[in-house]
Amino acid sequence: MSETVNIRELNDLIASKASFVSMIRTGMDRRIIGQKHLVDSLLIALLCNGHVLLEGVPGLAKTLAIKTLASLVDAKYSRIQFTPDLLPADVIGTLIYSVKNESFEVKKGPIFANFVLADEINRAPAKVQSALLEAMQERQVTIGEETFKLDNPFLVMATQNPIEQEGTYPLPEAQTDRFLLKVVIGYPNKEEEKAIIRQNIVSVTSPITPVIQPHEIVEVQKIVEKIYIDEKIENYIVDIVFATREPSKYGLADLSSIISYGASPRASISLALASRAYAFLQGRGYVIPEDVRSVCHDVMRHRIGLSYEAEANNISADEVITAILDKVAVP
Amino acid sequence: MQMAKKIRQILLFTTVLLGLSLSRAANISIKAELDSVDVLMGNINTLHLEVVENKGTQGRLSIFQEIDRARGYATLCGDSVELRTNYTVDTLELGSGKLQLNFSIPVQTFDSGTYTLPPFVYYSGRDSALSNTLTFKVYPVNVTADDTIAGLANVQGPDGSRFYDWLPDWLLDFWWVWLIIFLAICAFLYGMRNYQRKGIPFIAPKVAPKPWAVALDSLQRLKNRKLWEQGMEKEYFTDLTDILRVYLFERFGINAMEMTSRQIMDKIYESDLKDKRDYVKQILNVADFVKFAKVRPLPADSIAAYDNAVKFVEETVPQEQSEGEKEGGIE
Repeated sequence: MSETVNIRELNDLIASKASFVSMIRTGMDRRIIGQKHLVDSLLIALLCNGHVLLEGVPGLAKTLAIKTLASLVDAKYSRIQFTPDLLPADVIGTLIYSVKNESFEVKKGPIFANFVLADEINRAPAKVQSALLEAMQERQVTIGEETFKLDNPFLVMATQNPIEQEGTYPLPEAQTDRFLLKVVIGYPNKEEEKAIIRQNIVSVTSPITPVIQPHEIVEVQKIVEKIYIDEKIENYIVDIVFATREPSKYGLADLSSIISYGASPRASISLALASRAYAFLQGRGYVIPEDVRSVCHDVMRHRIGLSYEAEANNISADEVITAILDKVAVP
Repeated sequence: MQMAKKIRQILLFTTVLLGLSLSRAANISIKAELDSVDVLMGNINTLHLEVVENKGTQGRLSIFQEIDRARGYATLCGDSVELRTNYTVDTLELGSGKLQLNFSIPVQTFDSGTYTLPPFVYYSGRDSALSNTLTFKVYPVNVTADDTIAGLANVQGPDGSRFYDWLPDWLLDFWWVWLIIFLAICAFLYGMRNYQRKGIPFIAPKVAPKPWAVALDSLQRLKNRKLWEQGMEKEYFTDLTDILRVYLFERFGINAMEMTSRQIMDKIYESDLKDKRDYVKQILNVADFVKFAKVRPLPADSIAAYDNAVKFVEETVPQEQSEGEKEGGIE
């Protein structure tokens, strides 16, 4: 079989550079039992310079996952516990008067890190949330009159607790749209639970050795940007997104009353980016429909608005996405 | 002497001639008579005309003209007396070559007064006869305020009405519509009768072509288009996989059009087609490269993919069909 040169070169390049993926997976497996989907999602977000919104009950190793990933990448990690009295300055930093120098000095906040865990993001008021989300989008922070670029790679993993909604400030749809992925994690199975017990009752844990440096991640991000997306794949992505907006045109008239608003163009962009990152994780220099389907739920579930009818019938966004994927023709 | 003889001859001739003419005049006679000479205005009186003529002659009453027959009556006495044309004629054999005709003619008058009917003329051959005159009196109807008012009588139809006169005009104007409807009902009943008796449907249902026949036909047409030979490998493999996917759906109920290559392979592996999976695998693998990775396959790959598609279809034709189908199979 004869191939055009760029794809073959890209495949070779990916083969040489993607070795860190298996090492990261192995490293994560040593600390986190199960949650393979979470690990893959973090890697996808890392590779396409995106952010992850994580939804799950407490105690599912969310913090441990991102902390371990930061250690494996040898990157700076910080954790912000969002509370109702948190201020934007607590996140991005502020100016502090130095008596010694008789001037205001910049005190950078915890957002100046490669990996930021925004724990229980919906517990802080809207102005704190928007400060974080603006920094995530712009990748820079202005303190006083000075603007600071944020570190690269920069990955924010925000968590939400789905069961305690009292006294929370739910993220507006416009802001959840800024997260590349929304990952929902569930409980481990029995075998995984036993392994978790065995691992955690031992007082000594093996240290984590970094497998890749942050600047290498940036290089890999540039490789991911080169992964080829054929027009057929673009059409497939557009069809999926349009099916959320005009379901009846795709033979999904039943969903018309279920969906109150469809996915935005940012969803199309995110789907393409995440598909490319997923193809990289599979060691491919091109995207196939399988990649799109694999990331579709995580990319789309927080970008589709469900109607009251859907809520009354206990229909989730995941069910809607599955119905769409089962109906849209694969190229 | 001579003179006296001549006078005698003239007298004899005149006597014979007179005798002959008298005997001829006595061959036809007509006598008129009325039922009543006092008639209430509007009531019908009957005029009897008794005609005696030689048997075998063709006589006629002069009173009735063609126009009178058309309108139903003839008039006398300045249009005051009407003689109906629906009279009756009774014939009576008198013997000695004589025939008596008894005409009974209805007479009606709507004006009061005394009327004298003129003689009626009857023609028989070259002869004619005049009847006697008749006189009768018509009395007006005296109505006083004390008389009771009779109820309205039903409107009587015109004389000589036909059997379909009671039908509404629109029914007769569109007779051809009723004829078509009648014929259609007859045809339907005939078809139903046939269907019930012999199980023969009125209109034979269109037999859908078998999936394998459609697939083989589509493959042959794809081959004839010589796409990969012209450098259109992408179109070739797109069409080839579409044919295969449609066949999988039509033949096995696998929704292959909405499935990725891996999902299709998983489905085939789960089904009874395990031993045929290599055919499909080769096609889908090459197709994914060609469609999504800008790969230009070698001619051998294109040929192999086509051959595998044909083999897959032919080997999955149901046993009872396979013999017949293979005869008309693909080259």
